[in-house]
Amino acid sequence: MMDVMQQLREQAKKLLEEKKVDLVIGFGQGTELARTTPVFIDSPEGVSALTWGPFCANNLAKYLVDYKNAEGNVAIVVKGCDSRSVIRLLDDNQISRDKVVIIGVPCAGQLEWQKVAAEIKPDAVLKETADNGDSFLVKTSAGDYTFNKKDYMLHRCLVCENPNPVISDITIGKELPVKNYEERFAEVQELEKLGTDDKSAYWDKQFSRCLRCYACRNVCSVCTCQICVFDQMKPMWVSKRTNLSENTVFHITRAFHVAGRCVDCGECDRVCPMDIPLRKLNQKIHKDLGDLFDSPTPGSKPGLLSALGEFCPGDPEEFM
Amino acid sequence: MEARIVNKGQLPELLDKLAKDCDLIAPVKEETTTLFRKISGAKDAFLEYNNSDISPKGCFLPQNEKTFSYTYTGDSLEIVKPEGAKKTVLFGTRPCDIKAITTLDPVFEGVKFGDEYYSSKRENTVIIGLSCSKVLSTCFCYAFGGGPCDGTGSDLLFTEIGDKYYVEINTDKGKALVDTYSQIFSSQGADQLAKGKEELAQKLSGEFIRKVDLTGVKEVLDGNFELPYWDGDNYKKCIGCGTCTYVCPTCHCFDIFDYTTGDFTGDRIRCWDSCMYPEYTLMAGGHNPRPTRKERVRNRFMHKLKYHLDRYDMVGCVGCGRCVKKCPVNIDITKIINDLKEVAQNA
Repeated sequence: MMDVMQQLREQAKKLLEEKKVDLVIGFGQGTELARTTPVFIDSPEGVSALTWGPFCANNLAKYLVDYKNAEGNVAIVVKGCDSRSVIRLLDDNQISRDKVVIIGVPCAGQLEWQKVAAEIKPDAVLKETADNGDSFLVKTSAGDYTFNKKDYMLHRCLVCENPNPVISDITIGKELPVKNYEERFAEVQELEKLGTDDKSAYWDKQFSRCLRCYACRNVCSVCTCQICVFDQMKPMWVSKRTNLSENTVFHITRAFHVAGRCVDCGECDRVCPMDIPLRKLNQKIHKDLGDLFDSPTPGSKPGLLSALGEFCPGDPEEFM
Repeated sequence: MEARIVNKGQLPELLDKLAKDCDLIAPVKEETTTLFRKISGAKDAFLEYNNSDISPKGCFLPQNEKTFSYTYTGDSLEIVKPEGAKKTVLFGTRPCDIKAITTLDPVFEGVKFGDEYYSSKRENTVIIGLSCSKVLSTCFCYAFGGGPCDGTGSDLLFTEIGDKYYVEINTDKGKALVDTYSQIFSSQGADQLAKGKEELAQKLSGEFIRKVDLTGVKEVLDGNFELPYWDGDNYKKCIGCGTCTYVCPTCHCFDIFDYTTGDFTGDRIRCWDSCMYPEYTLMAGGHNPRPTRKERVRNRFMHKLKYHLDRYDMVGCVGCGRCVKKCPVNIDITKIINDLKEVAQNA
């Protein structure tokens, strides 16, 4: 992955030198070996901070909203899943196409940093990483480690819909094969088998842990309301009090608000400090939208109408 | 200092008895997370944890707390306050989290503005600490004078050594508990185990990975509210969620509001609030003194590294590492401290 990293830096440098963009948003080495952190580079000299590998889990697309009114253009590094967010932001008129340079990198999957950190000598320093198909090789100052994707990858990556960016101006790295995972909705199907009471009990248990830190909402690339209903004070639709009832209102409302727009990047799931499996909620909606309206994953190609923003005479009307 | 020994085999008996005699709060495993909950006996406790996902600060400052209920009857207003705290034992708390409680104490137990809700729980709770058996890559308690086996702030400190717990009695409250359950606490052989504890503390203190040095940090913050450092990447990458503040064992900001339960009845609730939220400092007239994430991020670190020191002569961070671990974008207070130290050196 060294070559991808090198090319990334070269392209970023070129964009900045030629003044095509004022800012490059990408991944930089984090404070743990197996973590990266978003970096904001505004000078050609700064590009050495850019990195790439199996620790770039963050979806950076949301940051484009912060710069939508900035004077200059912004370049952003996206994976396959992140690129769907960019399409959604464009389709929602949150950002304008001519102000964004999309650097797409086909992604071989992202590892769960905590699982990796548990295996690696704590004071080791990352040297380089390589994709070996079913596993990643992680070379460190304390030796080489191999991480099987099956055991160490984020769940969302195990059933990745498309590792290749679906929109990009500059593509770095080789296109990767698109696999069709039959088990994509396996977890949702398991939940669907439960009776109403058991489903309710399952989610009650999850939502009761919610701290209402709003990490899931804030990281979400399609949560772009200027004033969110959950922040509104007058009227206060949802109380700041955390309890099962208020927490449930929050999560169900959010899931339905992003229905037909959620790009299934899985960031809500990754950032939840209480490990609430939020992606399952959104996946249920994805599955239903697919079953009912034959709707592809939002953002999977430009200009798709939102399933809930479009009327077709043939739409099912079971409840009418 | 007095010490005792508890055989590991007898711990369940102690926990079962405590759960029967008072409210027992201990770490429990819920799905993949470790939290502090009231438990009914030893079978619910999960002591093989390293750092719980949420600190036990909620035992004294719950995320939601009813401060009183009110009923307006037409000609009078009736206020009903909740009963005082029950006798409680907080078991299995790690040293950093205990230290965090001692940083909350001056906020809520100040001479001028005491907080009866906090004090009532604090007075009625016996804190039983549990020394760490491992140092995580995100731990840095040593930087603030703490340590994996540091009993400061605890009433009793348990340290696991082989098949026994070495129990240090740090306060009269702790002594009273030991006396109540004296058949479980043995004093024989405690001296020998003291050496074992020292060795463990020594061993663990050498295992910290993060180098954190506060030299000059307070001084550089003192004179420089508008430090250019705050214009850097930290606020740009912050997504403005409240994770760091809610998992933090020393963050203590709260909001108060009325929760109506009928036309003329309701509860006054106090609940956690976060300085990362835009409406946190929003004023009635619409002005917000911390209008962007830059001011909010600065405020959080100023509070930890300066304001708490100014007010109470204590650093507002204990090095538990939760915010480091949980921040979705890897904003890391240890990096900020080291960056600020560098700023101080170059100044």
